[in-house]
Amino acid sequence: MIFNWFKIFIYHLKQSKLFSFLNVLGLSIGIAGVIFAILYWNNENAYDQWNPEKENVYQVLNKIGMTGDTWATSSIPFGETCKATIPEIESIAFLNIWYSEAPIKYKDQKVMDKKIMGADNGFFDVFPFPILKGAKTNILKENNSVAMSEEAAKLLFKDEDPIGKSVSYESKTYIVKSIYRLMKPSSIEPNFVFGGVRREQDKDSWGNFNYGLMVKIKKGADPVAVLKKMQNVDFVNRTLKDAKESGMTVAQHIKEYGQTTVILDQLKTARLYGTKSSSGRNFPEGRGNLQLLYIMVGLSILILVLSLVNYINLATASAIKRAKEVGVRKIVGATKKQIIAQFIFETAIIVILAIIFALAIVELSLPYYNNFLKKTLTMNGGEFYLQLIFIFGLVIVLAGIFPAVYISNFETLKVLKGNFSRSKSGIWVRNSMLIFQFGIAAFFIIGALIVNSQVNYMMNKDLGFSGDQIIRIPYSLPDFRTKTDKYQTAKQEIAKITGVQGVTTFAGSFGNSTNSSSGFTHNGIFVQPRNVEMDFGFLEMMKIKIVKGRDLSPQFASDTIDNWLINETLAKKLNLKNPINTIITSGWGRGNDNENMKFKIVGVVKDFHITGLQDKVPPMIFINLKTLKWNNFDNIYVKVSPNNLSETLASLKAYWEKNVNPDYPFDYEFVNKGFAKTYEEQVKQKDVFFILNLVVIIIAIFGLFALASFSMERRLKEIAIRKTLGAETDILLKELSKQYVIFCLMGFLIGIVPAYILLQKWLENFAFRINVSVIPFTVALVSLLILTLMIVLAKAYQVTKIDILKYLKYE
Amino acid sequence: MITIQNLTKVFRTEEVETSALSGISLEIKKGDFLTIMGPSGCGKSTLLNIIGLLDSATDGSYKLLDQEMIGLKEKGRAAVRKENIGFIFQNFNLIDELSVYDNIELPLLYNNVKASDRKQKIEAIAEKLNISHRLKHYPQQLSGGQQQRVAVARALVNDPKIILADEPTGNLDSKNGNEVMELLTDLHAKGATILMVTHSDYDASFSQKTIHMKDGVIFSERFNQRNVDVFMDAK
Repeated sequence: MIFNWFKIFIYHLKQSKLFSFLNVLGLSIGIAGVIFAILYWNNENAYDQWNPEKENVYQVLNKIGMTGDTWATSSIPFGETCKATIPEIESIAFLNIWYSEAPIKYKDQKVMDKKIMGADNGFFDVFPFPILKGAKTNILKENNSVAMSEEAAKLLFKDEDPIGKSVSYESKTYIVKSIYRLMKPSSIEPNFVFGGVRREQDKDSWGNFNYGLMVKIKKGADPVAVLKKMQNVDFVNRTLKDAKESGMTVAQHIKEYGQTTVILDQLKTARLYGTKSSSGRNFPEGRGNLQLLYIMVGLSILILVLSLVNYINLATASAIKRAKEVGVRKIVGATKKQIIAQFIFETAIIVILAIIFALAIVELSLPYYNNFLKKTLTMNGGEFYLQLIFIFGLVIVLAGIFPAVYISNFETLKVLKGNFSRSKSGIWVRNSMLIFQFGIAAFFIIGALIVNSQVNYMMNKDLGFSGDQIIRIPYSLPDFRTKTDKYQTAKQEIAKITGVQGVTTFAGSFGNSTNSSSGFTHNGIFVQPRNVEMDFGFLEMMKIKIVKGRDLSPQFASDTIDNWLINETLAKKLNLKNPINTIITSGWGRGNDNENMKFKIVGVVKDFHITGLQDKVPPMIFINLKTLKWNNFDNIYVKVSPNNLSETLASLKAYWEKNVNPDYPFDYEFVNKGFAKTYEEQVKQKDVFFILNLVVIIIAIFGLFALASFSMERRLKEIAIRKTLGAETDILLKELSKQYVIFCLMGFLIGIVPAYILLQKWLENFAFRINVSVIPFTVALVSLLILTLMIVLAKAYQVTKIDILKYLKYE
Repeated sequence: MITIQNLTKVFRTEEVETSALSGISLEIKKGDFLTIMGPSGCGKSTLLNIIGLLDSATDGSYKLLDQEMIGLKEKGRAAVRKENIGFIFQNFNLIDELSVYDNIELPLLYNNVKASDRKQKIEAIAEKLNISHRLKHYPQQLSGGQQQRVAVARALVNDPKIILADEPTGNLDSKNGNEVMELLTDLHAKGATILMVTHSDYDASFSQKTIHMKDGVIFSERFNQRNVDVFMDAK
């Protein structure tokens, strides 16, 4: 029986090679899309699943009442008090939520590592990486302990036994305690874990939210109860205490300053579903991009649906050619079930072919996909193959059952008497599917156009500063106290290099905001502006404009003591009509008394973008480097001439490695390129949309072509009759294409609503965004219509050229 | 009305060259009712198709209303066809998806007749052919005879100069066949020009003149006796 089915399947395959090929291809593109989405999905959901404590470990976040910011960091006394007073907490760990990048030395070996963690002794309780060598417990008990991954140990120690050896890191010496095996993927994948992360000065400061805090609660303990108790610890030790100190009632104090809300995110789900902190970073490996994941999954499902629709359409349309066969089979005794089984069998073969094709497509394009996601996904693992089998089953069910049932319902007598080929059955299903396809295509075209114009807008927006020909060179010294002095020397030397047109610095970088932010209250309005500690001439070199007053200048002694500039946003927030000469009390103490430092506004800086266009321009204050002597700048900005750039860079490198910091490799980045990273994500989304658009349009066009072919070929006799009666070609073309144009319009109407809603939602990510105009909709409509007409008219023209006599006589 | 001289039609396949018509000459005058008879493959349908401008000749001359038709492009042929020629087929060739009314309307649509005139004409012809009560039905709902009457109505609605009938009774039983033949005779009596292809001597006897063809040539022409009418009346 199967052999018989197979023979007839092969016959039909050969009969319509092109359609069969396109059919398999269409399905395989759809399946490939789903495989891509699954790989991404599996990877993101695999984070921290290796961790046996994933259900008991929680990250602590704090939502600060006054500003509404959420920080993924906590203070030391808070963590210690929680541990001491809440019995359900088994252990806690303080750690950095970012990696350091630094050289690590052992004898004359030096390894530059990018994934260095600082933590305390609790680290291996919450991230129990398997210990291969050395101490198994209390690994980081001493502050000068370090644990490292086996790969890192191999790099640094080659074949030596690392345990007990001392390595140097940031001018300190550490003893290697343990070697662990890195488990991936994990929210933290450190090559080195150094002990002693807790700084002495933070020990009793409830207000210093400087460390990531993980708590591990006892098995079976109720996290809600723990959270309540932790919230209470914060309330008693901060809100209550602060209220008492300021002489207010608790209610008053909360009204004035708000209170901190403690948040617990379970490690198991933290990567994808955890609370997003204001800095966007909760763990060194970052957060999962849930939006992109949903977009990928959603779009891949849409594409699969599209290709399934195509398959169903083609299968039912070509079923008519099979009607006689089905009739004969029924007469000789086939049951309905057997007919269904036969056609599902055919679908199964097609789906197997399509999956093989899809795997090939995925295999070939996986490197590009990995590059796009910055991941190293591979196709393996039992889970993946199970999912593949599930897809196989799902596609067969969705694609196969409808056509099979449709075919099995053919009425034997009607079929054998002929006259069946012009039957109307199934037409409305095919037509509504076609309309649905048009809808999806419209959605994709509109989406791609809107995403594209938003990205263009971001790329071309006037940022308020000019990063042309300016490079950012990371500037790092082992001793941060001498930073400013060394910078001043370096500045003069660098300025002498041929091709250098200017040297300056500020504490921050374009695209990533400034390095600090300090709040103060003026006239009863609380603001939290970003601090721009800058060198003289910074604004000028970056072509940032002053709208009122003047720039800070070395000519005025007070410009390094108590003068500052503010930006337009801050002036607006503080309701300052004439900001110049206004005296403002800052949030910074003077150190020797309880008074805070006062500053006079000498100029207002035009708003410029320090972070990406997702965010509004923050309020800012500008002071000279010397005013606070924080030395927290970590880049030097150099304006270089476009001529002989490579020579200039070579001289800079030589100078840098000789005089600035020989341990750090010279590195540089153009400011414009650095800022472009803020919309890197959107450029990616644009590219995704573009590629998917092509795929969708190809599938849809093929579907349209196939369906139009089938339905027009069914009308050959009618066309012949019309021609006999004198219909001219253009009238016939109109007649034949009319319905497709109507379908196209209907599909477009269906597509615009979700396109408008979803894209509007997407645009809400951006503080600076384009308005959705009618243009993308018009362009989508016109291009969809043109495509439709091209396909349909080409096919229609072909059928109007038929030999009339053949169809009049022998139909 | 129609003058054909030395018409030939050659079908070429890769290996064989078949001559379907070899040097046909024929004249049809206004008001003639002509029958072409002959065995299968004698070329009679080919001749009819060429006259109906559905097919082209290989050589010779075909003048319709003193206009040369050989060498005319498809567009020109379509124009001549829709104005001058009405077709009646053995298998009716009605469009199943259209109602009787819509089927009859087609030639008027292609001749750009005004909507009000169309309605009038369709109703008039339906009345004449006794299918007024069937206008809203679809072809599949009618008997063979009724379908052929619809086809005749469609052929006549545009007042063509000549009616071409290709075995009009071939798919009908004798009763319905008779009805159609009577209809054609009637039309002829009112002045219509008709060219019919048939296998049936009986059908041929309704016409004025019968042409016998064999192997692509005309080998006899014969005028029919009118005594058929007597026979019909007797029935």
